[in-house]
Amino acid sequence: MADSDNDSGGAHNAGKGSEMSPREQDRFLPIANVSRIMKKALPANAKISKDAKETVQECVSEFISFITGEASDKCQREKRKTINGDDLLWAMTTLGFEDYVEPLKGYLQRFREMEGEKTVAARDKDAPPPTNATNSAYESPSYAAAPGGIMMHQGHVYGSAGFHQVAGGAIKGGPVYPGPGSNAGRPR
Amino acid sequence: MDQNQHGQPTQEAVGKNQYQSNPMMAPTNPPSETIGPYVTSSFPREKQHAPQDIYQEQLNNFWAKQCQEIEETTDLRTHSLPYARIKKIMKADRDVRMVSAEAPVLFAKACEMFIMELTMKAWANAEDHRRRILQKSDIASAISKTDVFDFLEDIVPRDVGIPRSSIAQNFDLSMPPHQNVTYPPYYVPAMVTGRPIPDQNHHGP
Repeated sequence: MADSDNDSGGAHNAGKGSEMSPREQDRFLPIANVSRIMKKALPANAKISKDAKETVQECVSEFISFITGEASDKCQREKRKTINGDDLLWAMTTLGFEDYVEPLKGYLQRFREMEGEKTVAARDKDAPPPTNATNSAYESPSYAAAPGGIMMHQGHVYGSAGFHQVAGGAIKGGPVYPGPGSNAGRPR
Repeated sequence: MDQNQHGQPTQEAVGKNQYQSNPMMAPTNPPSETIGPYVTSSFPREKQHAPQDIYQEQLNNFWAKQCQEIEETTDLRTHSLPYARIKKIMKADRDVRMVSAEAPVLFAKACEMFIMELTMKAWANAEDHRRRILQKSDIASAISKTDVFDFLEDIVPRDVGIPRSSIAQNFDLSMPPHQNVTYPPYYVPAMVTGRPIPDQNHHGP
């Protein structure tokens, strides 16, 4: 078989006209993950050329940047610094991806419920609870607080147990915020 | 937990209300459609004949299945895309400062749906040409046929929509010949489509 369905991960140099350093690979999601998702959308006997996989890799990064850019613009207009899930949902609607929003609302609600359970436990250690009433969880009346997660500028460690020292490191001036609990996300 | 640490309650309320009361409202970037579900056949950009009804039905089934899958999800930590990498891609835009923990989680699911939608549309093109191997040209065709994918035009060459007989050159030497197809393989001219920085770097004031 000319095209290998077992193509997984590793360097992408072979199919590219330009060299791709390990740093540049960070611009794309892993090709193995992308390939696996593509196969879910295809009949069992379909094959995927490596070129197609790499093209979709690039398209996904472009999709993330496209939505993120729109959400970031909205945050700047509203003088907020943190992009949250609602901003992304708004951006997707604005940019024509309405079909995605309804499934993602349920997904986001599920995530916030899970985070809410952890946040409630974590907040017991913080004397003054922050005013989260205006940031109520999306379609989740049973939880008043929306999870804030870890505010970090660099690094990508999720599930960290750090509290104030982690949050403090990410803040340049301004008031000090209570440190959030760990979040459900965890990179492989 | 306050995830909008610098946000003002009034502004945040306005933002949320704006989204909930009028999801189609777009002050700066009006959506390509103002009402109803996205239907590809409503756009004049369609360049190739395709049985849209079949694939529209497949797409509808896809969206219904997504809602069902999410309801059945019990552990959000079993994800198909790495959160850390998603966050890196988001922060490649220098205007992006802080990203809440829920953003990469949401994107992981959104990207999965995006990949599946793009792949399904591309497969429709491959089937039109009676091929069993999905190629880059199929991705390009799906992009050119779908208005909402306009932002991807730079990723693939524009001319791949041209019928196969018009392209006489074969520059992509990395593509091995397809032994199992009954006609010569279809290659697009090799072009370096990758960019050192994403376009969204130009976003913002």
